[in-house]
Amino acid sequence: MMAAVLGLIIGIVVGVFVQPDIPVAIQPYLPIMVVAALDALLGAARAYFERRFSDRVFIISFFANVITATLLVLLGNQLGVGSQLQTAVIVVLGIRIFSNVSAIRRFIFRG
Amino acid sequence: MARQNRHGRNRSRNTVSELRERSEEERRNDDTATGSFPQVHGRTGKRTLKGTSDFRIRASSTILITLMCALLGFGYMTQINSGPSTYETMSEDELVRLINETSTQAQNLEQRKNQLSQQLSSLKAAADQREQAQRIANQNKETSGIISGRLPAQGKGVIITIGKGKDKDVDASTMFTLIEELRNAGAEVISINDVRVVTSTSIWDDEDGGLQCDGIPLTLPYTVRAIGNPSDLQNAVNIAGGIGSRLKVMYGAKVSVKQSDNVQIDATREPSTNNYAKTVE
Repeated sequence: MMAAVLGLIIGIVVGVFVQPDIPVAIQPYLPIMVVAALDALLGAARAYFERRFSDRVFIISFFANVITATLLVLLGNQLGVGSQLQTAVIVVLGIRIFSNVSAIRRFIFRG
Repeated sequence: MARQNRHGRNRSRNTVSELRERSEEERRNDDTATGSFPQVHGRTGKRTLKGTSDFRIRASSTILITLMCALLGFGYMTQINSGPSTYETMSEDELVRLINETSTQAQNLEQRKNQLSQQLSSLKAAADQREQAQRIANQNKETSGIISGRLPAQGKGVIITIGKGKDKDVDASTMFTLIEELRNAGAEVISINDVRVVTSTSIWDDEDGGLQCDGIPLTLPYTVRAIGNPSDLQNAVNIAGGIGSRLKVMYGAKVSVKQSDNVQIDATREPSTNNYAKTVE
């Protein structure tokens, strides 16, 4: 938990001060990657509150989420439905994020 | 004693089974498996056997989690900093609209540029015109300054010296003829002694046989300076039957004409203001 928060803060601070040029190849996938990683993080937070957090599961789900989302959008771009598929991925991840957040909320407010 | 002993054994057995039950219960309570995630039990024994390895795994996974979250935050900030969305993910309609907008904007800018360059060229032309006008005005000022006698002048010309007439004094009309001859020969600036000859200059005889020019008495010998083509001016004076020979023959005056490359006429005259004459617009 502490590690995740610390890492998030470090990353944001580094991102504020270092502004790298994103390679053009991964430019369209970066937002999807970020959203997928956010979903994995919220899933991990939910698992933490449910006392079934497993670091392995988190690590694997993190990378699996990111890679799957990226590949899906890549596939969509190659098939000519990139923007639609991107929307689909965003919608699914958004729904997951919402359900995770509501689960966390229930845990917090149930006491 | 035996009874007591048996009793004690019974009690100890009770305590052991109680402890066993409790630990069983605690283990059940500690089980965090919910069925949602498959629990890996294979390594539990190994973990408990080697504490150092367990610690290493936990530390490395903590570091990995930290790193991943840092990556997430970094990616997030980078995406925020990278500004507007990229074109690759836009649909065709959006791209077409974007192109139209851009080309319209480019057209507008081109138009604006044309306008501005037109303005610039017209301003430049105006500046050129003004410069030219200024140049002409300067030229005019110089020319009119020389003509009206306002400015000192220098250049090629002749210096004519006329001595006292032995037979009779040189009169005003002869002097006037000399000036006219010089003018005809193209003299641009003339002065007699220290009097600048301008359009309104007049010469007259005074009572003692001398000459006055514009109210200033002229002293002998008369020195006439003229700026113009030196040989033309010399010819105009020395021509056979001309003013030079007349001065010599009729008045017995000594006349010398000297060409010079640098005749300086420092005498100036303040131009008179015109009370009545005005330029025609």
